[in-house]
Formats: sequence, C-alpha cells, structure tokens
Amino acid sequence: MSLAVDASGRDLRSVSIELKEAVAKGPVVIHGAAYLHGLFAGFKKGEVIIEGDSGDYLGVLNDGATIRITGNAGRYLADNMTGGTVIVEGDAGYGVGQYCYGGTIVVKGNAGDFTAVMNKGATIIIEGNVGDEVATYMLAGDLVIVGDAGKNLGNYLIRGNIYVGGKWESLGHNTLLEEMTQADLVRLRGYFDEYGIKADPMIFKKIVRLSEKPFYKAKEPIQLECPRV
Amino acid sequence: MPPMNGTFCVTVMKDRCINTKMPGKCATCVEVCPYDVFGIDGAGSVYVQNYNACVGCRICAEFCPDDAIRINPAESEFLVRSPWTFPQVEEIHYKAQTGEYMLRGFGTMGHAPSFDNITVVPSQIASAAPLDKYREECNLEVVIGEDTCENPIRLRYPLIFPAMSFGALSKEARMSLAIGAAQTGILSNTGEGGLLKDETWLIKGYENEERTLKRWEPGGYLVVQWSTGRWGVSADFVRAGDGVEIKIGQGAKPGMGGHLLGAKVNEEIAAVRGIPVGSDALSPCRYYDVQDLEDMKRTVAFLRDVTDYKVPIFFKLGPSRPYADVKACVEAGADAISIDGLVGGTGCSPAVVTQGVGIPTVALIPPAVQALKDMGVHRRVKLFVLGGMRSGLDAYKAMAMGADGVGFGAAAEIAMGCRACMSCHTGRCPYGITSQDPELRARLDPVEGGRRLANFIKATAEEVKMLTMLSGHNDISDLSEEDLRAMDLNTAAITGLKLVGYERRLPWWEDERNELNVG
Ligand SMILES: Cc1cc2nc3c(=O)[nH]c(=O)nc-3n(C[C@H](O)[C@H](O)[C@H](O)COP(=O)(O)O)c2cc1C
Ligand code: SF4
Ligand code: SF4
Repeated sequence: MSLAVDASGRDLRSVSIELKEAVAKGPVVIHGAAYLHGLFAGFKKGEVIIEGDSGDYLGVLNDGATIRITGNAGRYLADNMTGGTVIVEGDAGYGVGQYCYGGTIVVKGNAGDFTAVMNKGATIIIEGNVGDEVATYMLAGDLVIVGDAGKNLGNYLIRGNIYVGGKWESLGHNTLLEEMTQADLVRLRGYFDEYGIKADPMIFKKIVRLSEKPFYKAKEPIQLECPRV
Repeated sequence: MPPMNGTFCVTVMKDRCINTKMPGKCATCVEVCPYDVFGIDGAGSVYVQNYNACVGCRICAEFCPDDAIRINPAESEFLVRSPWTFPQVEEIHYKAQTGEYMLRGFGTMGHAPSFDNITVVPSQIASAAPLDKYREECNLEVVIGEDTCENPIRLRYPLIFPAMSFGALSKEARMSLAIGAAQTGILSNTGEGGLLKDETWLIKGYENEERTLKRWEPGGYLVVQWSTGRWGVSADFVRAGDGVEIKIGQGAKPGMGGHLLGAKVNEEIAAVRGIPVGSDALSPCRYYDVQDLEDMKRTVAFLRDVTDYKVPIFFKLGPSRPYADVKACVEAGADAISIDGLVGGTGCSPAVVTQGVGIPTVALIPPAVQALKDMGVHRRVKLFVLGGMRSGLDAYKAMAMGADGVGFGAAAEIAMGCRACMSCHTGRCPYGITSQDPELRARLDPVEGGRRLANFIKATAEEVKMLTMLSGHNDISDLSEEDLRAMDLNTAAITGLKLVGYERRLPWWEDERNELNVG
C-alpha cells in the first residue's frame, strides 16, 4: 500500500514537507503535480509515482530516489541529477537530464531539444525521438536514442557515447562515428532488457568525440634567443 | 594591455650576485622563477637565458638573498608612435604568430572611472558631531536573509571574499580564504569549481574533519555557487553552503561563461569537476536550464526547497544594465545581490573582454540602488559591490552610495602574496595562488595565507569604522550619499553625487522626468 499525496493547487513548500515525511515511510503516489515545478528535488532515497503529468524541474538534483511518471514530464526533467532513476511513460519536454553526474533517465516517448546537455555521467535513454542540439558539450555518460535525432547532435562532445537507433539531421562539431563494439552491444542489450525496451542493438550507431580537447590548441611557449647577460 | 613577452627588463647586478662571486653557491632565482627566465651554464654560473619570458612577478627579486635582481618595465625604453604602446605591438605579434586572441588573468589594465575622484565628507559643526573611534561603538554587521531564512548569514564586517573557483585558485588559496573568513566572521564563496572538502570545516574554524579542534574564532560562512557549468554540483554541494549564489555573470567576462584552461586541470580538479585531466572547462555563457525569468524563479524555489528554506539565495551579476538586472534578481527572489564591475578580477578571460566590456564599478551603484529602492527592498535585499575594491576607503564610498558591503577578489589574492603579474591564466603563479603545480603551490601556506587575509580584512574593517565614525555615524547602514562628494564633473555626472564647490547634484540628476538613472 502506498501513501497518496494530492498536490493540486498547493505550493511547493507545503507539498515538499508532506512528501519528505511520506517518503520516509514507503512509496508515495502523487496526484495533481502538473503545475508544480521543482518537485521532489534533491532526495537521497525514496520512491514516488507521479500519476499523470509533471511540471518542470521534476527530480532536480535527485541523488538516489526513484521517480516514475505515468504521464508526460515537463521541461528540465531530472536536471543536475547525481543518482537514482527517473522513468517517464509518456513524453518529456525540453532539456531532459541536463548537467547530470549520474543516475538513469528513461523516457518511453519523445524528448525535446537540448536533452542531455552537459551530461557528465548519467545514462539517458529515450525510446522515441529527440529534438535539436541534443548532448551539447556532453562530458561523460551514455545517451541512447532509439528513434531519430534533430540537428547538431553531440555538438562539442568531450566524452561519453551517443547511441542512435534511427537517423539524425546533422552532427555537431567534434563528433566521430565509431564502429559499435561487442561491449557496446552488450551494454545496449542490458539497458533494453532492464527497462523493457523493444529494440535491436545491432541497428544502432555510435557517436563519440573527435578530440578530448577541442577548444584550445596546446601552444609552444614563444622562445626567442637572447644574448647571454 | 596584457603582460607581454619582453615587457620587463631583468637585470642581475653582478657586483652583488653571490653566484657571480662563487658559481654554484646560489641559484635561488633559477629555482623560484616559474617562467625559466634564468639558467645555469656548464660552469655553474647563473645567466638570463630567456629574457622575454619574464612576466614581472618579482619573486626572484624578493627571494634573492643578496638583493641582486632588478625587474623594470621595459616599455619606457622604447618610443613608439601614438596610439601604439609596446604591449600593443607585442599583442599583434602574438596573434600573428599563433592565430589566436590573447587570454589574460587577474583583470583589466589601465584607466577606468573609479572611486578615486570621490571624497568623504567629515562631520564638523553643522552636521551631527563625529564619533570617537577609540571609545565609542559602531555597528559593522550585515545580516543577509533576516526575514526570509531560518539561518540568516550574520557577517561581522561588511566585507566578503567573492566567488573564486577551485581550479582558478589552488587548493591552498581556497583553504587560506576559508581560514581568513573563519577568523573574521565573513563569507567566502566557492565560485564555480565545486567544493573542497576541507573548506567545509576550515570555514567554521575547525582544523580537522571531525570538528573537534577549533582553532579560529568566530567562524565564517561558506556560500556555494550555482553556475552555468555546474561543475561538481550535487544536492550535497548545495546543502554544504550557508548560502547559495546563482551566478549570472562576472565583471571580467560578462556575457561569457567561466574559463578554466586545460593547463590547470590536474587530477584533483578533474575529479571535482568531472572532466578529463588537461581538458579546458569552458562554462556555457547562459543556463541551458533557464529560459526566462519564470524559470529563474523556479530555480530559486527549488534551491530553497533543497536547502530546507534555511539559507539565503544570492545572485551574482556582471556589469550590464544594473537597474533592470537588479530588479530582475529581486523579482526572482534574491536575498542578496553581488554586482561586479568592468574592472573585476578573473582567473582567465579573453583580454579584449576583460579590457573593454561592461560598466565601471562606480557607475553601477546608483542604478542598482535605485532599483532596490523602487522595489522597496533597499537595505533588505543586500547589495554587495565587487570589482576593483582595494581598501576601507573604497568600501566606505560604495556603502555610502547605497551598497551594503563590498567584496575583495584581487585584493584577497594580493593579501595572500600576489604581485599582480597578470599571468594567472598560465597556471604558473609564482606565489602558488592561481597555480596547480605542486612545487608552486607549496609556496603558499594556508595558515599563513589565512592569517594575512584576516589581517587585511580586520585592518580594512577598521578603516570603514573610522570613516563611518568621523562622518558622524555609528552604523554603516546610516551612511548616505550626503557623506560623499564628487571631485570632478565626470564623476558627478555618472554617480549623481554632489560636486565639490558646487555643493549640489548636477541638474539632470535632479530632474524628476529624466530616465537617465533608471536604465
Ligand atoms: C582567480 C579568480 C577566480 C574567479 N572565479 C570566479 C567564479 O568562479 N565565479 C564567479 O562568479 N566569479 C569569479 N571570479 C570573479 C570574482 O568573484 C569577483 O567578481 C571579482 O574578483 C571582483 O573583482 P576584484 O578582483 O577586482 O575584487 C573570480 C575572480 C578571480 C580573481
Ligand atoms: S618571471 Fe618573475 S621570477 Fe621570473 S625573472 Fe620575471 S620577475 Fe623574476
Ligand atoms: S595571482 Fe599569481 S599569477 Fe595571478 S597576478 Fe597574482 S601573482 Fe600573478
């Protein structure tokens, strides 16, 4: 039996206080959270199910909690997450999983533009399509796009892997198409099994960085000969 | 213009040099120079092998046991056609050789409008009598978030150490700042490079992680910075602070994100920031996760939520449109705002941006204060002024113009030993302040650095107190524009202060209809 919290028409602070108490006791189901932004921020553990849609910044700074959304998620889902799992049954808006250091995000539907920007270690899996500018300046982690991607995918990638099942409109700077290895296939198979995703790892392509240091060239110091003093 | 190869003239005076007399006996300069200016030849004699690499840090002169080294600016030796100066000629050579623009550490060079042409008005017979610094009390405390937070920050003095990141600064410098703040009851800001574990207990005055050995009273405050690169940021990081600062911009590179060059990214920094060793950490210029002011309000809301509504939220602004920007910060929910001016310090910025982008510090204050007044929150939402602050005199002037306090970035570096050589971006700081090289870092002892910082802050606070009392006040929040006069037309024009002699504000500042001071 899970506890229920009704968030409709309430402010973040009051819902948050109630949630903190409820989560300590067991799994919690939240209703009416579509217009509440920044809900369930920075939890280290706990389990919540959002019935229906969520607002923006859901699970921001999440550090170990498990969040499931039965509807669609708003913008900036699981922003700056460091641990835990966030699963969305529907679509997610702009900027899924930006600035994350760890944890896993699974979106069963589509995700918006600027997803996985500056991802620094999270695993982000989008079962549908993603928008433009996805994985800009990604520094680590895995991004799996089962569907298609938009423009400028992986712009200024530094590290980490982008796996794409479908097509992309264009790749960003500093990207390189690399052969899938056996390890990649195993990893994808693992993700797909774990999150019940029907996809064939064999059709995926892998995008990695071209250079780890794309911004400034290493410079030789300027040395001019000078007479001995 | 930036420090240039060949800008300095290095002279070893043979009549004093120990090595000249006894080759092999002394090579101090060879050891201390981070730029390999000196070399030793086969016979053990010291010679200047790379005259052009000198940045003018003067550490060789300081360490030379027989005072045998002189470092002089070389510029004066050359006559160059106007408007060219020697560094400008060198800058073009640099670009022509490398195809890249110049980066610079430390800050702006040359002249910008400053507080220098403002004078303090003392009390005499017609105004409230002066107070006695030696025998009377004066309140210097500033409280941040008094009616909005459970744990407001109570600064003992109206002075802060602004955001200076681990990465730009060495670990030792970050520790020095924490120890300095602990001894003076002020705050230190992590900047955007994440948190050093040691800082969290040093700032409270403890010597050890277990917090059993308290060495420094009264203990200070740590503000953690939420920035566009979000290096090392997690829920734990946000909760480690006594306050959270949302960085919008900074004076040395407004409109751009933080720059940390790969040369400084060693293993420890790479680990804190979560990036590969040796790679450049170039923060985005804006938040990817904020698209408008509504989003900023939501950001403030979740940061308050994550910190259990306990700690104040700061905003850090670069020098752009102070009136509108400050208003927006207040709307977003700020408890305090730091606004940084054109001449604000930096660990590394493109030279042209540091030099030529933004509004001078002194001109930021009137519109920023006006915005707070128009929002009805002046002195409630605290305003800290940063950028080129050097002394209690500068601090007093900023506060009389309406600020609640000031921050010392470059001045704090100098207090730790910096000689303003403007080469922080190279990662070869001779004093171990902005270097990650273990050998150079060893030159900065955090306890000594902390002691010097605390001394600097205490002396500066005494200056503020003295000036406050001689102008007839016993509380810094009572200071007003009436305590200042502009000494030239330009300063009167940009600050709205009364002009000396004329004893009035310039007419357009009195005109109710004008929009000059609100834009
Ligand atoms: C070495 C160094 C590192 C800095 N790092 C940051 C930073 O990470 N974030 C930030 O907002 N400002 C940063 N700043 C700017 C300072 O917070 C402050 O605005 C500036 O130093 C004030 O000007 P002043 O140096 O003239 O006092 C840095 C400044 C310096 C000198
Ligand atoms: S760079 Fe510094 S230590 Fe080296 S010669 Fe110049 S002043 Fe001396
Ligand atoms: S901090 Fe170091 S490198 Fe930077 S200006 Fe000061 S002495 Fe030079």
